[in-house]
Amino acid sequence: MQDMQLLEEGLALMALGMGFVFVFLTVLVIVTTLMSKTLGRFFPEPAAPPRGRGPAPGRGDDDVMAAISAAVHRYRRRHRR
Amino acid sequence: MEKLLTLWYGSGLYNLGLGQAVMVLVGLGLLYLAIAKKFEPLLLVPIGFGGILANIPEAGLALSAAEQAAHLARPEVLERMAAALQLGLDPAAGAEAWRHALETTLHGDTSPELVRAANDAAMDAGYAHGMLYQFYSVAIASGIAPLVIFMGVGAMTDFGPLLANPRTLFLGAAAQFGIFATLFGAVGLSALGWLDFSLNQAAAIGIIGGADGPTSIYVASILAPELLGAIAVASYSYMALVPLIQPPIMKALTSRREREIAMTQLRPVSKLEKIVFPVSLLVLVVLFLPDAAPLLGMFCFGNLLRECGVVERLSDTAQNALINIVTIFLGLSVGSKLMADRFLAVETLGILALGMVAFAIGTACGILMAKLMNAVSRMPINPLIGSAGVSAVPMAARVSNKVGLESNPHNFLLMHAMGPNVAGVIGSAVAAGVMIKYLG
Repeated sequence: MQDMQLLEEGLALMALGMGFVFVFLTVLVIVTTLMSKTLGRFFPEPAAPPRGRGPAPGRGDDDVMAAISAAVHRYRRRHRR
Repeated sequence: MEKLLTLWYGSGLYNLGLGQAVMVLVGLGLLYLAIAKKFEPLLLVPIGFGGILANIPEAGLALSAAEQAAHLARPEVLERMAAALQLGLDPAAGAEAWRHALETTLHGDTSPELVRAANDAAMDAGYAHGMLYQFYSVAIASGIAPLVIFMGVGAMTDFGPLLANPRTLFLGAAAQFGIFATLFGAVGLSALGWLDFSLNQAAAIGIIGGADGPTSIYVASILAPELLGAIAVASYSYMALVPLIQPPIMKALTSRREREIAMTQLRPVSKLEKIVFPVSLLVLVVLFLPDAAPLLGMFCFGNLLRECGVVERLSDTAQNALINIVTIFLGLSVGSKLMADRFLAVETLGILALGMVAFAIGTACGILMAKLMNAVSRMPINPLIGSAGVSAVPMAARVSNKVGLESNPHNFLLMHAMGPNVAGVIGSAVAAGVMIKYLG
């Protein structure tokens, strides 16, 4: 008799505990998603531009590009002959 | 000659009982696993050594003043203690029988007030608590050491992967089924009459499946302090065994195609999100489950120290110096619970077996949940990250990564698995809170 009661209590605790863990973490998922969205909307990340594009493009880059394309051009011409 | 005999009677060799000898061997075994096999050495070295210290005959390092006095004191002191315990001593039986009666009463279900009175009587007679007993009462009985460690774990945890993909929290939730299934298993074994666990003890055993050392110790110290030694040893040894236990289960439950699934790159998470997250988690705990507040409160606090970026020194202390100091005392205190008369029982074997089952079920449920999520969601989810839901940070995530790499050498799952991994820590703390609420 007492064993049955123990089993029942165990089952109840299992259902209650698992249910609660799921409910709590579901709420946490919702809250976290909302939080991320709100923050993304109202406080757009100031750090994003420098991180996204790497070193800022400038005159130096143009020079490098020019040098590279010139070199490639010359290489191709020489090897086509 | 008489002096020589006194020396002999006082020696460890003369007094060493069989149980103590076995426990010293168990302690040496733990040291071997820690040092030679690198099984969670940070904890198993102190636990193993504490276990040896606790079983030194006659030294009584893990005994309270009253227990020591019952073993050693003169008959008048015994009489005074018996009066404090409201225990009638048979004057004809002699001192040895008195000692035995006192020890049984102290170990039995005597009310705490009487035990305190007996301790006072023993201290008046000049006996003191053993060193390990003091460590235990300060570090574990008060609940402080596991909580401080949880703060350190919070300070070491990066919630970035979790914030980038919050749905991995479901994996952490599913893996907690191991805890509750084992609880039910322990209750079932008791109902069948094979072992004898109360509901509180069953809950403390189940929490081994949370694969979270501090949480197990915290719950065990509240619900079933008498099983704490076995539970702590089981939970730390299985955490070390994660790379052996999990891969077979992971491979059995997934197909090769599923293991090869590549996951999309995680989005970058802003600093502000990382600062707000521990605070919003704390608010949820406050609203829904105040009983998890000690564990999750300290966890969130540690994480806020890390993420807020203005208290570098505190964060550094929490994740290095402080957690190391506390680990030493926690380990020695757990070792003090490895005393022969309490550890060498069939129950211990039952706990070790159930703990293993808890781990396996948790792993399996995490993977099945990940398969389900992969089936219903647009974003591909590799089922292997589900096994990381059992916490055991960061070992379980590394195992997911390794098994994933075996199937597809270009598939790096580590960051994806860290999400469910830290979700598992939150999940097992919530489960602990529910159990403490229900049973405490």
